[in-house]
Parts: sequence; structure tokens; C-alpha cells
Amino acid sequence: MRMRPLHARYPFFAAAREAVESADVAIATLVAEDAPAVERGVERVERALMEGTVEPDPDEAYGWDTQTELLSYPISRIIVSLVETPAAVDKYARAEADTAYERMLADFDAGDDDVHGEARANLDDFLREFDLDGAVRAESNRNRNSRRAPDHYWVDVGPYLTYSDTDWGADWRLVNRSLADGAVRVTREELSELLREAVRRRVAEGLPFAVRGSDAGDRLADALKPHVERLRNLLSDRGAVNVVYVDSVDPDHFPPCVEALLARAQDGETLPNEAAFALAAFLVGVGLEPEAVGGVVGDANAEELQKRATVLADSSGSQYAPPTCETMQAYDLCVNRDDRCDTIKHPMKYFETATNDADATAADEVAD
Amino acid sequence: MDGRTREYLEGRFGDYYRSTDVPLPPAPGEREWGVIPWSAGGTRMHRHQSLLDLGDLSDYLARSAPRHVYFSSARFADPGAASMDDKDWREADLVFDIDADHLPGIDPETTGYADMLDAGKEALLDLLDLLEDDFDFEEMQAVFSGGRGYHVHVRDESVRGLDSEARREIVDYIRAIDLDFDALIETRQHGTTTQRVLRTEGGWGRRTHRRLLEFVDALLEMEEDAALSRLKELDGIGDGRAKTILGAFRNNPDAVREGNVEAGGPGVRTLVEALAHETVEDETSPIDEPVTTDTKRLIRLPKSLHGGSGLVVEPLDRDEIDDFDPLSDAVPDRFRGRDIAVKVTDPGEVEFDGDSFTLDSGVQSVDESLGVFLMTRGRAEKVTE
Ligand code: SF4
Repeated sequence: MRMRPLHARYPFFAAAREAVESADVAIATLVAEDAPAVERGVERVERALMEGTVEPDPDEAYGWDTQTELLSYPISRIIVSLVETPAAVDKYARAEADTAYERMLADFDAGDDDVHGEARANLDDFLREFDLDGAVRAESNRNRNSRRAPDHYWVDVGPYLTYSDTDWGADWRLVNRSLADGAVRVTREELSELLREAVRRRVAEGLPFAVRGSDAGDRLADALKPHVERLRNLLSDRGAVNVVYVDSVDPDHFPPCVEALLARAQDGETLPNEAAFALAAFLVGVGLEPEAVGGVVGDANAEELQKRATVLADSSGSQYAPPTCETMQAYDLCVNRDDRCDTIKHPMKYFETATNDADATAADEVAD
Repeated sequence: MDGRTREYLEGRFGDYYRSTDVPLPPAPGEREWGVIPWSAGGTRMHRHQSLLDLGDLSDYLARSAPRHVYFSSARFADPGAASMDDKDWREADLVFDIDADHLPGIDPETTGYADMLDAGKEALLDLLDLLEDDFDFEEMQAVFSGGRGYHVHVRDESVRGLDSEARREIVDYIRAIDLDFDALIETRQHGTTTQRVLRTEGGWGRRTHRRLLEFVDALLEMEEDAALSRLKELDGIGDGRAKTILGAFRNNPDAVREGNVEAGGPGVRTLVEALAHETVEDETSPIDEPVTTDTKRLIRLPKSLHGGSGLVVEPLDRDEIDDFDPLSDAVPDRFRGRDIAVKVTDPGEVEFDGDSFTLDSGVQSVDESLGVFLMTRGRAEKVTE
């Protein structure tokens, strides 16, 4: 089976997997040779975990070809399995689904005469892919002559309940829905959201899987080890710190490394990936709301960092804790060390002790 | 229950099973089976059995004549395994339980058995209306539970894979739990104007709309004065609002038919809200939530005998339900037409087989069907003839 642009766009489609399986390329070989698909696979996971998307970095000068793009998907699944943190799988599947959702919306809106037609999927392709072609019907438009896509669809109640989530809000609750003749009325946007969830489940299915355990698997894992370790480091220093709760965040108590990053951001520099992550994770870690993060980092970085902060903020626990001093040093981000730095191993700890000391001093002053 | 009574009932249950064809549910081999035997107090359930363990079901029931027989709503890869993990859950029928003990306004202490069963039947009919009209389920089996209520087994493929959380959504729909009454009316854009519209397409909006139309039809039949005072019965509707509403319904009856509630002014909103609450009160069914959300439950086998009543767990055709009277239609024919001697230990009112009478205490001769009913309910003991 030929690798089609459509497969690269939606690599979780069954046909895409078949194309990969029938292709004359072995994943093991690609990994051994550190082929471009590996680099793209790593990027996929990294962007998923840090930024909630698997779109290629738009700042990269060149694009990925169809084959690389498609083959990166199975590789990213291997990598995410090797990272071995449950939050990573969850986050990765969400990012794949969110990206697919964006692409899907663009595709559904594109007209027939679109030049990228071959790469685009239509609604029927998606419904067929998830076995929903018999379960979803368009509501006939009141205006029969309208060539517009229908505003509403009817989804059979079984699939509706399977793919919707009550956490999405009261208006997704079945009790608040128009249910008639075994089907639930949804808007076009809502139908896309159900499909996004179907994608998320398809991606998450079978993840993480055991890569090691066979000779071939071990070789694969060993070859990917540097990438996996870098991702793990980026992600967390597990169990290191939790969010520090303080009444108010005083930037005077930020460690020198963070002050430096903040200054670079405010100067309008576009921070490289690790630096942007470290800064956003720190600011979220000290309890800043994502909106507030956008406010302190300067206009040039506001949007980018706020987006990152949002992704970080809704991942609970310490999985996405800011990097330790060790990691910061590894990325050359540990700068302007001061005395307090000798007493701590984590920038968050720096902030915590600096804040506490200041409070203690303030209390002393009052007591006097 | 004394030994003689237990032995007697066990023997007669065996006779029932030998003379009755108990049909198997679909995919019987993938289900877990459980029985409670008559012996040893009769409360210990032997479960985790597959059909392979039991052998031919009719044969098994005839031989062992259990006090209660259950099967799982779930289908498993290995139904006979001792732990749920090892059983490997595949899917489960969607099961509803109406237990007269738990119906609103029913106190099991003071309500008679027959009245409880009547209330249960009302709830069953409301449930079936929702399952048929709103959910459009096709493979449905309503069953008298043999005790105080009814079960409905739904086996449509589209719902068998649903998890507990999804099933809870179905329960909440049927009971209208967390229904957002305000959201029944939506503001919709028509070109440049907006309109407030009752959601008529389905759900509780459609049900409320139907009631509204009936209400409007009745109103339009009435004399002016009667119509106005009918409207004013509602909280928050005075003279002025009543006139506005009635005027709007008279001038443009089609608008309300399409769900448009803009024309009648704010009073219509009050009216719709009152009708929505009435609809919910009237048309929800008080099903027992845990039975539906538990995807691994055992349920009584249709056509088996209920050991606490001696009645048949009777499957019901849709058109039989209206006239169904459990206390005569679920009495096993096998036990009719022969007198037996029992000692009544708990005398008093009895409703049975279309009759209601007072029972004296002491030894007496009664029709065996009544005798079995009394003995299984613990109100009589077997004595030698
Ligand atoms: S030692 Fe830690 S806190 Fe201090 S500057 Fe380096 S990274 Fe920051």
C-alpha cells in the first residue's frame, strides 16, 4: 500500500497502519540509522508533552515528507512507551487527538476544489474509520436548497455515551439532551468533539506497551535511550517538588536562573524549547495562573508561554515539575549562581526558602 | 422455616422445573450462573458457575430444585472463574429494576402487597415508554421479578459495551436527575432576530412540549373565563399574564406548535416551567440505580420460581402488561387444583389469586398454590396430611 499524504495527516487511521506495515521499511532499521522519522518522532512526543500538539515546529525551515511524517507515528508510540510515565501517555494521546481535531475541522471546511484535496479527510471518512457511518445522520436542513453543511446531526445513543464525557459540562449530560428515537441531537462542532475523543482512545489504546523484553526490543530501546532520557529530564525530576503555595508571588525571590530567563523573555528574545519550558513550569509551579504567566514574560513571549502554562497547569501532580538545578545546568540555564544556590538543589526550593526567610524577617520586624 | 416445609417446597419446586421449559437467555455459555439452594438456611449463594459446570440447565434445575436462580447480565470470556478479573468481562445487558420497596410514596410497612405491585407496574409502564420512545431499544424483555417488582433486560448491541458511567447517564435521563429546566428553552437565531424556543426535537424538552400542546388544546376548548382561571392556577400568573398568554395561543396557535414561546410573554416561560416539572413528576420512572450501573450483577432467571413467594419470574409481552396481575398470572399452574394441609403461623389479611381474605391461624386445608405462597413467605408451615 502506498503511503498517502492523508495517512501522514491522520497516522492513526487503520489504512495508515497498513501502509506502514506493508511498506518496505523496518522501524528497527530507521531507529538504528537515526533516520529523520526518529527525529520527527521525538519531536512529536516532545511537542505533545510540552505544548499539547504534535504539529511539526512551524519555525523549522523545512517540512517533513509524507513518509517521514507517517513513520514518525509508530516511532513516537515506542518513545512514549519508553518514557514510562502514565501522565505522558495520557498527554500524548490528548495532543494527537487535539491535533487531529484541528486538522479535521480544517478539512471539513475545505471545499471540493481545494488543492490539498488528496490529503484531506471528509466527515464520512472519519465516521467510517470509527465504525460510526451507520450511527450518525445529518439533520436535513430546513432550507433544502442550502449547499451548506448541516448544522445538526443525530448520533445513536450508544456511541454518544461511549464517546462523550460528563466532565465536559452539564450540556453534555444525556438528561439535558434532545434524545429521540434512539439518537442524540448534536451540533456539527459537538460531533467533531466526539470524533476527537474517538481519536484519543484509538491513540491511547495499547499504550504504553512493553518495548523491552526481546532482543529486538532491547536494541530498539537502547538506540532510543538518549532521546527517552532527555524527554524524561525535560518532563520532571520525579517527586522533587510540588507546587509551592505562597500568598503572593514576589519576583525578588526568584532564583538567578529564572530571573535571567525572565529578563531574556522580556527583552523579546524567543526562548529555545528547554528554556521556555523551564520558565513556564517554574511560573506555574509557584502558583501563577496561566493568564498571569502571559502577563509577566513580555509581549513577545506572552502567547507562547501562556499556552505552555495552560498545558502544564492542567496536568496535575509533579509530573511536569520544573527542572532541577542539575537539569538546568545540563542545559546551560544555570547562571549567576548566588550563596543560596549552594543550599538547594532545585530552583523551586530556592524560591521557597527565599520567601520563607523574607517572611521570617518581616515577622521579626513586627515583633520588634 | 422448618425442615419439613423446606423439604416439601424443594420437592414441589423440582416438580415445577420438571414440567416447565425454562428458556435460556442469549449467549448462556458466556454468563455466570448462581443459585441459592433450599438447604442450610437457604441464604448462601453458589455463584461463579458456568453453564459447563451446571450442565444442561433444565436438567440441572429439575435435579437440584434451587430456591432462587440467577444469571449474570454480563458476558465473560471465562464465566466460571472465581474472580472478576479472571472472568474477563466482555459486555453486559442493560438491566433496569423497579423495586416496589423503593418507590416514592410507598411505605412497605403500611402498603399492601397488591398495591405495591400496582405502583410497580405504573413505574414499569413509564419506564417502557421512555425506553421505546426516546431510546428506541429493540431487544427488550420485561419480567415480573417474582417478588415486589419488575425487571427490564435490554440487549441491543449498541448498549451492551457501555461502562457504568455511561449507564448512569441513562439512569439519570430516565429519572430526570440533574435536568436543567432552564435549558429546555433556548434562544435561537433566525437571520437577524432571536427567538426563544422550547427544545421540541427530543428529550425532556419534547416531552414537555407534548404536554404543553395538550394543555393549549384543552385551553382553547374552554370558555374565556374558565381558560383564564385555569392559567391563573399557576404560581406567578395573574390576570394580565393570563390574558397575554391566552391571546397569543388564540392568535397564533402554530407558533406554540413549533415550540416558539416568544409570543406569550414572560408568562409562557412560567407555564412551560410548571409543565416541565409536571412532566418530570409524571413520566420519569423510579428505577433502582445500582442495578443498572453495576455491570456484573446477577439477576433472577425469567421463568424460574422466586423462593420468597413461590411465584413465577414471569416474562411479559408488551401487550400483556396492562392486564397483568402478578398475584394470579404468576401463580404456577403446576400448584393449582390440589388441597394440602398447612399450619398458618402468621394469620391475617391475604391477597392472592384475585381474592382478598382473612386467614385464621392453625392447621387447615388450602389450595396448594396458596399453601406454597404462604409457606415461602413464612406465614405457614407444612404439616402431615
Ligand atoms: S543553582 Fe539552581 S537555582 Fe541556582 S541558578 Fe542554578 S539552577 Fe537556578
